[in-house]
Amino acid sequence: MKGSLYALVYAAVLGAVCALLLTAAAGVTAPYRQANAEAEETLNILMVLNVPLEADISAKQLGEVFKNNLREAERGGITTYLYSSPEAQGRIQAIALRFSGPGLWGPIKGFLALEQDMKTIRGITFYEQEETPGLGGEIVTEGFRKRFVGKTIHDKDNNVGIVICKPGSAKEQNEIDGITGATMTCDKVQAMLNEAIKSIVEEKQ
Amino acid sequence: MMSETSAWVIFIAAIFTNNILLTNFLGMCSFIACSGQIRTSLGLGTAVTFVMIMTTILNYVIYHFVLVPLGLVHLQFIVFIAVIAAFVQLVEMFVERFSPRLYFALGIFLPLITVNCAILGASLFMIIREYSFIQSIGFGLGAGIGWAVAIVLLAGLRQKMRYSNIPEPFQGVPIAMVVTGVLAMAFMGFAGMVSIQ
Amino acid sequence: MADKQLACMTCEPKGLCGGRGLLTLKEGAWANNPLAIQILGICSALAVTNRLENSLVMGAALIFVCVGSNLLVSLLRKRTPHRIRMIAEVAIIATFVILFDQFLKAFYWDMSKQLGPYVGLIITNCIVMGRAEAFALQNPPVLSIVDGVANGLGYAVVLAIIGFFRELLGTGEIFGYEVLSGQWYTPNQLMILAPGAFFALGIVIGIFNAIKGPVAEEKK
Repeated sequence: MKGSLYALVYAAVLGAVCALLLTAAAGVTAPYRQANAEAEETLNILMVLNVPLEADISAKQLGEVFKNNLREAERGGITTYLYSSPEAQGRIQAIALRFSGPGLWGPIKGFLALEQDMKTIRGITFYEQEETPGLGGEIVTEGFRKRFVGKTIHDKDNNVGIVICKPGSAKEQNEIDGITGATMTCDKVQAMLNEAIKSIVEEKQ
Repeated sequence: MMSETSAWVIFIAAIFTNNILLTNFLGMCSFIACSGQIRTSLGLGTAVTFVMIMTTILNYVIYHFVLVPLGLVHLQFIVFIAVIAAFVQLVEMFVERFSPRLYFALGIFLPLITVNCAILGASLFMIIREYSFIQSIGFGLGAGIGWAVAIVLLAGLRQKMRYSNIPEPFQGVPIAMVVTGVLAMAFMGFAGMVSIQ
Repeated sequence: MADKQLACMTCEPKGLCGGRGLLTLKEGAWANNPLAIQILGICSALAVTNRLENSLVMGAALIFVCVGSNLLVSLLRKRTPHRIRMIAEVAIIATFVILFDQFLKAFYWDMSKQLGPYVGLIITNCIVMGRAEAFALQNPPVLSIVDGVANGLGYAVVLAIIGFFRELLGTGEIFGYEVLSGQWYTPNQLMILAPGAFFALGIVIGIFNAIKGPVAEEKK
């Protein structure tokens, strides 16, 4: 009996010490982790808008570039980021919007940037995805993302929506070559992009 | 509205295209140590599948209904492994009473299921991939079965290899690794197999 | 430094490690290398070695956790009830792992995203658990630290070798800098995917055995 009591007390004390230590560590590191997450997001938005950035820019400088060049605005229920560099004197050069949705394996999140005509795609980035490495996971590569640049968000007849099609068969202005062996991931990316696009287009009308 | 990946698709994919052992490398230690005999491997695979599906469900509930509301997310690793350890202890007692033969055959490997990276990994992946409850069930079951399939396949391959002429430095683990690599390549070929609807 | 080593080897009982420091170091890092000889901790060796940088950070993580847990388990070894010793070990290991994970997320964010769940999975890494159970539980604290360092180092070195070749052959780069020029070398993408990991590990262990093999024969 005494042995069991000792074991219980031991376990309780050990558990308490560990939990306390970890909670303390979590508290100490929380502001840094938060700052990192924010810096990553800021970097993604700036990158997708092609805002010129120095190499090895610090988190603080990122925040400053963001403040000087970007404005937030609500549109169709989504937050959009309007890029207007100080030289442009108020003229909006590009717009970025976040998109997210379920991928094949986990959530996919990223930013889509449109030129000021709100029709041509300026760029796309993915900052979260859990797709199959080498297949769906290739969506983050520059090769795939470059295919979006210059494409439009609606077809010749002004129907809104992009189409990610079989690799090599993209012809129309709103069609983009997909990734071999990653049809499902591409389908899901297409769906979530179109949902985000529809939201801001509908609001304009 | 966007369609979520169905639990069924996740289940199939967890066995073939995203096999937790052949793609995510989890559960290798017991894989190497135990995969000599097909029968033992089958027994171990079943035990791991059972523990995996049950602990995934338990950890889902604990994470979403206890840890998140109380802001204790940073304790998830400890809580998950504690749940797994407790559950394996239960399974051990159960197997000892109802199937002494299996208990004897599994020997040390039964308590070692606690530290099988695949089981903790399954719970961690479930959280990272933000699965719903139904999806988690599909994933836990699929991952377990996928692991069992891989380990049984390798046991069979190793049995065959006993009659091959392998250079001495490569006998045992090294050649098993190379063969597993070929197996992983074969499973990559399943990639186009899974499609919705 | 050399004098200290000599002192260890001359079995000076007053030495900090009771004279077994050097032996423990050699055992853990080479003769009983956790990855190549004991075949433990393979999961992470396969998962994070797709880039050399990831391998090094994972190696550092393991050294930190192994030393920390060995030290604590050894300090508590006379007070830990036998029945719950495994749970106690897991709790201690988990604490160190989570500490590393939190600080990684705070100060090396990109790496944390690269390593993903595999940092957390150090908890189930057979090496750490194995050393706690087989060594730290029966040995004094300072010697346990040496054992932790030795095993961690042995693991880190093998990991670095695998990571080096996988990144080099898989992308032609080291630490992200192009080494094998894209003009004549087509990167073998298979090396950074799953099968490449298995091949690399198998070959490294095979070579390790080949090097060690003849030495073992001599000793006989």
